Amino acid sequence: MANDRKKMFAKDMEIKFTKEHGSNKMEGGKITDMVGKYYRLGIEQNPRKVEMKKAGQEIAKKRGLAGYNPMMHCGGIPLGQRALTPSFISGTDMMVEIDDLHYVNNAAMQQMWDDIRRTVVVGMDMAHETLEKRLGIEVTPETINHYLETLNHALPGGAVVQEHMVETHPALVDDCYVKIFTGDDELADEIDKQFLIDINKTFPADQAATIKAAIGKTSWQAAHIPTVVSRVTDGAQTSRWMAMQVGMSFISAYSMCAGEAAVADLSYAAKHAGVLSMGEMLPARRARGPNEPGGISFGHFADIIQTSRVTPEDPANVALEVVGAGCMLYDQIWLGSYMSGGVGFTQYATAAYTNNILDDNLYYNVDYINDKYKDAAKTGKDNKVKATLDVVKDIATESTIYGLENYEKYPTTLEDHFGGSQRATSLSAAAGCATSIATGNGNAGLSAWYLSMYLHKEAHGRLGFFGYDLQDQCGATNVFSYQSDEGLALELRGPNYPNYAMNVGHQGGYAGITSAAHAGRGDAFALNPLIKVCFADKLLPFDFTAPRKEFGRGALREFEPAGERSLIIPAK
Amino acid sequence: MVYKPQYYPGATSVAENRRKHMSGKVEKLRDISDDDLTLILGHRAPGSDYPSTHPPLAEMGEPECSVRQLVEATPGAKAGDRVRYVQFVDSMYNAPATPYFRSYAAAINFRGVDPGTLSGRQVVEARERDMEQLAKFQLETEMTCPALAGLRGATVHGHSLRLPEDGVMFDMLDRTRKEGNVIIMHKDQVGRPIDKKVNLGKPMSAQEAAKRTTIYRADNVAFRNDKEVIEWVHRVFDQRTIYGFKPE
Repeated sequence: MANDRKKMFAKDMEIKFTKEHGSNKMEGGKITDMVGKYYRLGIEQNPRKVEMKKAGQEIAKKRGLAGYNPMMHCGGIPLGQRALTPSFISGTDMMVEIDDLHYVNNAAMQQMWDDIRRTVVVGMDMAHETLEKRLGIEVTPETINHYLETLNHALPGGAVVQEHMVETHPALVDDCYVKIFTGDDELADEIDKQFLIDINKTFPADQAATIKAAIGKTSWQAAHIPTVVSRVTDGAQTSRWMAMQVGMSFISAYSMCAGEAAVADLSYAAKHAGVLSMGEMLPARRARGPNEPGGISFGHFADIIQTSRVTPEDPANVALEVVGAGCMLYDQIWLGSYMSGGVGFTQYATAAYTNNILDDNLYYNVDYINDKYKDAAKTGKDNKVKATLDVVKDIATESTIYGLENYEKYPTTLEDHFGGSQRATSLSAAAGCATSIATGNGNAGLSAWYLSMYLHKEAHGRLGFFGYDLQDQCGATNVFSYQSDEGLALELRGPNYPNYAMNVGHQGGYAGITSAAHAGRGDAFALNPLIKVCFADKLLPFDFTAPRKEFGRGALREFEPAGERSLIIPAK
Repeated sequence: MVYKPQYYPGATSVAENRRKHMSGKVEKLRDISDDDLTLILGHRAPGSDYPSTHPPLAEMGEPECSVRQLVEATPGAKAGDRVRYVQFVDSMYNAPATPYFRSYAAAINFRGVDPGTLSGRQVVEARERDMEQLAKFQLETEMTCPALAGLRGATVHGHSLRLPEDGVMFDMLDRTRKEGNVIIMHKDQVGRPIDKKVNLGKPMSAQEAAKRTTIYRADNVAFRNDKEVIEWVHRVFDQRTIYGFKPE
């Protein structure tokens, strides 16, 4: 297939590299030029850096202690010896300063993680059985509504049952709430609409039918504790905070005895038996409780992101949103901060969701697959191509070589992805997601990821850095193994999978490959329908249908986060 | 039958150059004096003794050890040299070397070396005099174009950036410049100014670099056209994948 199609990154590269931004003098030339000018203008060329320098000077003066000073870099040679250029958020028209894509500088990124960490799904059926069978208390839609109203008072920190209690100020915890969902349309009809995540209205009809069939007659609470609580404590706190308030709300709503033994059953159900965390607890060597990023499987993450229900006809877009969100959470926050520290990881992650380079590669692959494999890249189950090594090799090889040649023919794309790890992630994510879409098989996509790494390394004689390459040299061997900890379906793998524990630039790709397999098939969810429904809720501060756009809004300082403390601190 | 190493597949000039780099049979193009090399490496003053971390092995009274009898220590190890590094950056615009092939060349042709391979740089750590031997070899031969490659201990940014108009790979710390028709280095590997300008020789012309390079590029030798290399990569991929599926 001819690869002279219009490049999706062309406009971004033209604006980024042939137009002036700030005072970087990046005016003129073509995006195919192999020669560039280096004016060595330092940080003064960039408005955000200038703002940061000024802030650093003011802070140092105020506190009488040195702080941010860009002239400390490299013995007095500041950043900006090459042009400092902003980036476009892929899939949008938003052009942002790259500093504003560090999660510290981006409220939307923080909120995405806050919204995941402060969420648990809690079953209602065990509690209802306890009430009905053990205590003989009738549970009806009316009592459920009353309970939910009680819990929406109690979950943020309102008191029930007890007198003379301290409570949290509602204005500090206004992001905290609980809703219910069920596969039972009759029950759903009886639930007060303010409390209901309506599967029929939130998902396309075919997806709604699948999800309702999977959930059946069971009913579940999507509980989001306050952002501020989650930030002060950790992800493991979420189920505990929720369970305490759930228990108190049951006592209050059903007029129970506060000390009767059945309360322990309700508590056990809410804390253990009926609770679903977003992430599993990590082993002692990584020392994190449930609901921390290292325990979030790629399947769960694919379900947290909601693009699959708004653009089901475009599986590539679904995958790209998951890749972007995954790179942010797994690279920038998990590996970049929990596991490492500093600022460098941001550069690895942003390459996958800026300037449409990955997008161009993946959509090229979609065209290639549709041409060669009879529309196998279109959403559907009957059109998939069988997942064989020959198919993996064909798609991964074409995808990788196409992407490599873009770097060779468009030096500005090479300059944009100036590190080999950035390029490797983009190329392998494109190959992996495309193979997943074509086959509907995440492990076939993972296999393509590894072949792409081999091809890339061989073509350019380089790949990433030591730690980056390490697992890519050996990963192919565990793709299809189901021996103990050697192999696993990609949906069930996660950041703590052997070999994945410290490999920046990979995990967002793996999550994208996972989602691509299911988006390609038009599945309603990748791994867990409960998580998919839990996040299908517009009331969450972060819009999980369009994470990249949200990151852009965060970078442009347009995003309104939750959990702010301005109410209780001196006004500035 | 005498074993003949077959280092790399491929029928193109890039594949041939890769085989050449790994064989160690590369063309010498320039001379760098020992003192100049010492200056730009920046580990010690030219003419000074090698700092040591232990007495010479001959004075240490080593224990009985079959491995010691089998493997002769390198000159640097014998003398007790400290471990120091040389780090190269090679431009993706047809620099002769690429990181993996610098590493393979080091590991195949030199003893006591610890190569590290990244996308934008390639480091070799070794006992100081052993490292210098490797550094001198790589700097003086066709493995290096002084304009398209650089010695950079830190702040290595540049391998993937567009070339400046003078053809000297971008270096944030401006360690290397073109003066007249030669490339000079006026700072050491980590960007500290040095006492004299060290002449690294003439840069390769674009045509010569394209002829000597070990990187596949669409505008020179395209990777997709070296079918044998791709077939070999596929074979490696097949074998590893199938082994993992059924490791019996």
